[in-house]
Amino acid sequence: MFKALTAALVALVGVAAAIAYLSMFIVHVNEQVVVLNFGSPKRVINQPNGKDGPGLYFRIPLVETVDYFDKRILDLDSPPYEVNALDQKRLMVDSFARYRITDPLLFYQAVRNESGVRERLKPIIESSLRRVLGSATFQDIVRDKREALTKRIAQQVNVDGKEFGLEVVDVRIKRADLPDQNQKNVFERMRAERQREAAEIRADGTGASNRIKADADRQVTIIKAEATREAERTRGDGDAERNRIFAEAFGRDPDFFAFYRSMQAYEVGMKAGDRVGETRMLLSPDSEFFKYFNNPNGGVLPGGQPKR
Amino acid sequence: MPWNNQSGGGRRGGGGGGPWGQGPSGGPHQQPDLEELLKRSQDRLKQVIPGGAGPPGFLILLLMLGGGLLVAYFAFFFIVRVDEVGVVMRFGKFDRQVEPGLHLRLPYPIEEVQLPKFTRQNIIEIGFESARGRGGGRDVPAESLMLTGDENIVVVGFVVRWRIKDAQKYLFNIQKPDETVREVAESAMREAVGQSNIKSLITEGRLKTEEAVQKLMQEVLDYYGAGIAIEQVTMQKSEPPPQVIDAFRDVQAAEADKEKYQNEASAYAGKIVREARGDADRILLAAKGYQQQTVADAVGQSARFLKVYDEYKKAPDVTRKRLYLETMERVLGGAEKIILDGKAGQGVIPFLPLDQLQKRKEGGN
Repeated sequence: MFKALTAALVALVGVAAAIAYLSMFIVHVNEQVVVLNFGSPKRVINQPNGKDGPGLYFRIPLVETVDYFDKRILDLDSPPYEVNALDQKRLMVDSFARYRITDPLLFYQAVRNESGVRERLKPIIESSLRRVLGSATFQDIVRDKREALTKRIAQQVNVDGKEFGLEVVDVRIKRADLPDQNQKNVFERMRAERQREAAEIRADGTGASNRIKADADRQVTIIKAEATREAERTRGDGDAERNRIFAEAFGRDPDFFAFYRSMQAYEVGMKAGDRVGETRMLLSPDSEFFKYFNNPNGGVLPGGQPKR
Repeated sequence: MPWNNQSGGGRRGGGGGGPWGQGPSGGPHQQPDLEELLKRSQDRLKQVIPGGAGPPGFLILLLMLGGGLLVAYFAFFFIVRVDEVGVVMRFGKFDRQVEPGLHLRLPYPIEEVQLPKFTRQNIIEIGFESARGRGGGRDVPAESLMLTGDENIVVVGFVVRWRIKDAQKYLFNIQKPDETVREVAESAMREAVGQSNIKSLITEGRLKTEEAVQKLMQEVLDYYGAGIAIEQVTMQKSEPPPQVIDAFRDVQAAEADKEKYQNEASAYAGKIVREARGDADRILLAAKGYQQQTVADAVGQSARFLKVYDEYKKAPDVTRKRLYLETMERVLGGAEKIILDGKAGQGVIPFLPLDQLQKRKEGGN
């Protein structure tokens, strides 16, 4: 009897739990829920800006079913597309989008789930990408206006996205690279540029070297010239001094000086040096030197010029 | 099944993961299910009803009590580890956030706990794979080749370190945090590289680029409300592509050559200028020497002259004669002499064989 009571109690609890389990559901913060009544949507819970937030909700078991949708920001990765920029340059553009479901009911009706989004949104993103990037130059895409261009793409995609009950939060260009073939050209150009740069640097070096050397040579020339100038001046001073000294000394008796200096000059000029016979002289016996050679009285020889 | 049909759950583990799929730490907090609840009620019933057998019945009771306690522990407590933070939700609504330690909870499904790795620093490598343990990283060309603003291509490998800034936002606002950070990082780096020139990227511009990327990433992630803080962006590698790296190296070699040329020239300049200064000193000293010598010579000569002159003044004629004769004596003394009478020799001089005389003289010696 006890056993039967226990069994009944257990069964009761079990049934109660099963009913509770089937008739209650929890909506988490990061979820939104569409409740369907035999397949037709009845209400939406925890929609952005909606009136019902997360929490515990009830449903009629077996009649109402519940579909969950993510409330977080979701990702949508596009494959790389080859895009022609306005200046006919080609780029491989790899982009990604971030979106969020804003109207789960519409979303459910239009695309059903995330893979449905992929199907529907991808071509829209691709065409928008081509349209927007095709109207911009290569430089704008790579360098100058990337932010603005992606904003414009996001705006355009958003127009279509609204019809699917979603909002595109952001479209970003992950990669914008050159196609392989163009890449080779860029490598060629880079190499050429570097080679030119290297050559310029070396030429600069040689030029600088030449300049330094030339400047040094100039300095040397100047130093030597100045030294020579100074030297000549010094020598000139010496000569002037010498002249002054001589003039002062010899000026006392020019006549005697002439004689005396001549004597010295003869001696130095005709000096035999070490070897006798270096100088050979033809002498006339009637010269002053031989005044007493023939005549001890000093008479001048006939025809000889009397010397002073 | 409503409880299990979680659309975003069950993603790759780590601190991320889908919130309610499987908690990062395996989720022992969600253990008790209906069966266990039933068991427990049975236990209670048995406790109320005194069992027939003595000791074995008591043992079973004890075992059941222990089991019940264990279940209660898992149902009513949870542990937040030191690197985690506990986010508790009641019926799906955020209820409270708790620090590391042992905490009370209501059993599932009333309360659920999420334990994101709050203090862990996550690392994402882009453009290369650091082969841990195997030594030496590897390029991932699709990620690492980037276009610069001056239409060059540069190889960039970088590391992003990020951390959860706001656990709730992190859990509730984005679906794939890891992937999001990675994609945002790539996009930001390319944007920054696209705005720089290759020269600055491979030399001093790295730091600026790192800062720009970090700032941009943070802006985007904050815009997503991701609750993620980018702590650091480090460019491990920023160099010309291997296809052209030799040309870039040659530029560096050229810089070195330039320096070398200049140094050589400077050395040469230093040498010859110093030598020239030496030469100049030599020239000046020689001139000084000449000057002094000349003056000294002049002084000497004039002194000698004046001495002789003083003598001469006393007896001019005699002195003059004496000087003349003495000089002639010395001059003629050393010379070879041929004395010809003016009249007799007039015809002879032209024919005098001077050369032979000379030779004879030498032969005689």
